[in-house]
Amino acid sequence: MKSIRRCQRVISIVILFFIVGMAGLVIKIQRESPYYMMNSDSHELGKVYDRNGEVLFDGTSGDTGTEKKPDNYFIDIGNLIGDDKGQMTNTLVARNIEKLNNYSFSGGLVADGGNAAIYTTLDHKANRAVYDAFCGNKGCAVAYNYKTGEILICTSLPSIDVNMGYADIDSLESGTLISKVMYRTVPGSTQKVSTVIAALEILGADRLFAKSYTCTGKYTNKNGDVIDCHEIYGHGEMTLQQAVEKSCNPYFAQLIEDSDISLDDLMEVYEKLGYALNGDEVDYIDIDGIDCEKASTTLTDSGDFQTQWGCIGQGDTLVSPMQLMMWQSAIANGSGKMTMPYLISKVTDVKGKVTEEGEKEFSKRLFSAETARVVKQILLTNGTNNYETLISGYRLGIKSGTAQVSHGEKENSLLTGFVNDAELPIAFCVVLEDRNSTQLKPEQIVKVMLDSLSKK
Amino acid sequence: MIANPVSYVFSCLFVVLAHGAMLVNVFINGSYTGMGTIVLLASAVFILDIAYFIAMPFFRQSSYSVDFLLILILNMSVIFQSSFGGIHFAVKHYITVIAALIACRFGYILCRSHNGIQSRRKQIYIVILILFAVIFTLTGSRSMWISFGSVSIQPSEFIKPLFVLACATSVTEQQKKHKILCFNVVYENIALFGLMVMIFVVQWWCRDLGSLPTFIGIYICGFLLRICYPRAKFSKKTFVAAGIVLLATAVAAFMYAPSYVQDRLHVDIWSDTDGSGYQQSRALIGIANGGWFGVGPGHGRLCEVFAHDNDIVFATVCEEWGLLYALMMICVILITLAIPLINSPRSYFHGTIAAGVCAAFTVQMALNIFGSCNMIPFTGVTIPFISTGGSSMAVSGFMTGMLIAGQSPDLGERHGTTKKLPSGGRRVH
Repeated sequence: MKSIRRCQRVISIVILFFIVGMAGLVIKIQRESPYYMMNSDSHELGKVYDRNGEVLFDGTSGDTGTEKKPDNYFIDIGNLIGDDKGQMTNTLVARNIEKLNNYSFSGGLVADGGNAAIYTTLDHKANRAVYDAFCGNKGCAVAYNYKTGEILICTSLPSIDVNMGYADIDSLESGTLISKVMYRTVPGSTQKVSTVIAALEILGADRLFAKSYTCTGKYTNKNGDVIDCHEIYGHGEMTLQQAVEKSCNPYFAQLIEDSDISLDDLMEVYEKLGYALNGDEVDYIDIDGIDCEKASTTLTDSGDFQTQWGCIGQGDTLVSPMQLMMWQSAIANGSGKMTMPYLISKVTDVKGKVTEEGEKEFSKRLFSAETARVVKQILLTNGTNNYETLISGYRLGIKSGTAQVSHGEKENSLLTGFVNDAELPIAFCVVLEDRNSTQLKPEQIVKVMLDSLSKK
Repeated sequence: MIANPVSYVFSCLFVVLAHGAMLVNVFINGSYTGMGTIVLLASAVFILDIAYFIAMPFFRQSSYSVDFLLILILNMSVIFQSSFGGIHFAVKHYITVIAALIACRFGYILCRSHNGIQSRRKQIYIVILILFAVIFTLTGSRSMWISFGSVSIQPSEFIKPLFVLACATSVTEQQKKHKILCFNVVYENIALFGLMVMIFVVQWWCRDLGSLPTFIGIYICGFLLRICYPRAKFSKKTFVAAGIVLLATAVAAFMYAPSYVQDRLHVDIWSDTDGSGYQQSRALIGIANGGWFGVGPGHGRLCEVFAHDNDIVFATVCEEWGLLYALMMICVILITLAIPLINSPRSYFHGTIAAGVCAAFTVQMALNIFGSCNMIPFTGVTIPFISTGGSSMAVSGFMTGMLIAGQSPDLGERHGTTKKLPSGGRRVH
């Protein structure tokens, strides 16, 4: 009998292995079945809400009593929220479609009464106001709470109302199906904020403020290339504060060329800020599944035109409006750490149970708190001196930019900054494309944005 | 003839009730056009149940547990197969089920006597070699199948029970060691190893390595039990060396596997749901769609997928009957294999057979279920008793007969060859 028990042990081991495998299979099926169903031809999606409970996307097939909205009602969030049609892939719905799945393994698909939903941080009313403020001009705007990370406004023009379908997809303008907030653009002089941060990190505030450079309208660098200033007669001798306010290109070209600022140090700070340098692969910031391109620039030689031009915000430098805004948060919150933005405040499953909640998160430290304090003061002074009347009623830290695009044929206007108010902790970035084709100014859009968010 | 008629009748009732409950589910939730189909299906199932219950007592056994489980699972399979894609009577499958029951009796009769099968050891090897020759010569275009009109036979399936028998008969040969150079060698072990290599060559030649793990499973079980055989006197060094060789072979197999095998190891089914990941992705969607309780017999959509009734049959059952029912189905097969743990095999020879059968069935189930659910590479083997396929069904029945034989009195017992019945077994005189 003892020897037969050996046979029985072998049988037991074989069966045991199989049972363990089956247990693993059941667990795997339980966990992954919503994903499987999302890949099937038939699925039931839930809804996406804004922060006030307004439905932004309704994927339910049954009659759920959602109020029918007029055409283009959702156009301001069309290319951000998206849909499940597959035409737009980098949208909230496309990237989080599993979370909207009105399905559970025990209950199957629920056509009516499913509670799968994504509750966003967006304020649709404010978003729509900002969209309307563009008056049909192209561009984008984004704003978030730099204390919590909640994205409140994120609109991009041209856009599409997904409820109206894609019948005229061939006639859509370029950029309609993407949220430009997430994609890189030429930052213009808003880039100078990064250069100021880099200079402060390398030299410190005392040494940097002690330096002054002369602008004669043109500056010929060490390699013999000419950097033009927008003020053709020049700004004369300038300090850092004046250079930021006047957005003086020759000042910044000379700052980069300064022997006290080594290229290696400059590159180190830029890399900390998140730039991909000199052709390195561009990474992405993950915002609830949506890919947001990280910045890139060329830094090869302090005396080289391309490097200087890049640090001024032209040339090879590209930054997404989202990242410009995030840098502002690191300045505004005084820590040198970015407040990480998020769109999803909570997710509920088919039974209405909260399965995920948005949380405040910070990036690793990009620069010192002292640098943040100094830059904050520089931008606040700029806001007070130059934007107090244009955007009245707010204590703003702000930097403008004009970016040459389309080989210099067009210019985009940018404004990025923050509100220095504990009651309205908003960081923002606005891009107005082809500024010469319109009377509209980005300051007007910022004003509408802040008024909408402060409910003025 | 039956030691406990009350128990026997209640077991019969249990099986009939189980099938009846399934048929009620078909009636209530099934997708059918007329009652005639259900009546036909129910009649076929109950007639087979009753016929088997009547026939069983004519075979002298210590226990009929495996028989009850066999008829339970086989008619479950008939009901499953008859419901895929709409209720109908799966005649072909029903015939293969009858073939399995007959094969089971053959297996039982053949393996009842240890001495009888031991004396036919050489014949086992010869039949295996004949099957190799048949595969090499008659299958054509390097395939596993021989076609006779609309009927196809897979000769390699028949090697499985013979290989189990070869492993079992080799156990008693372990004491016959021969000195070759400085090694103590058992000729039988070399022959078995050679057989394993031949099986590998045949499968590789047929470009279908799907069943190879099943044979490896049988071989490993047989090898372990040869090592553990009390008179084998294997040293621990041999055991360790065998383990190292096995590990090295596994590593080499993964490294030098043919390209089509390598492709299956790295396939991402969700990135190619209309290509190489089609069956698996559909199977997983089907399981998810079925949930715990299924969409109802005949309401599934997996029936549109190729091999829904064999290679991905687990998923098809899950979709229509639910994961719970599919797990119950697997449990019935596992309990059948675990019966030797309750009713001990009557000899080490029969224990080895039971372990071999257990290895063959579980490895096959694992390959089918875990493969179709994308846990391991998809190989396309059958689940014993559940999948369609005459060869597979007949061989599964035969191997179940081998299990039953281990729990039944030897014919020679009556004449005093064996003194004792196995503990746990009941006398049925």
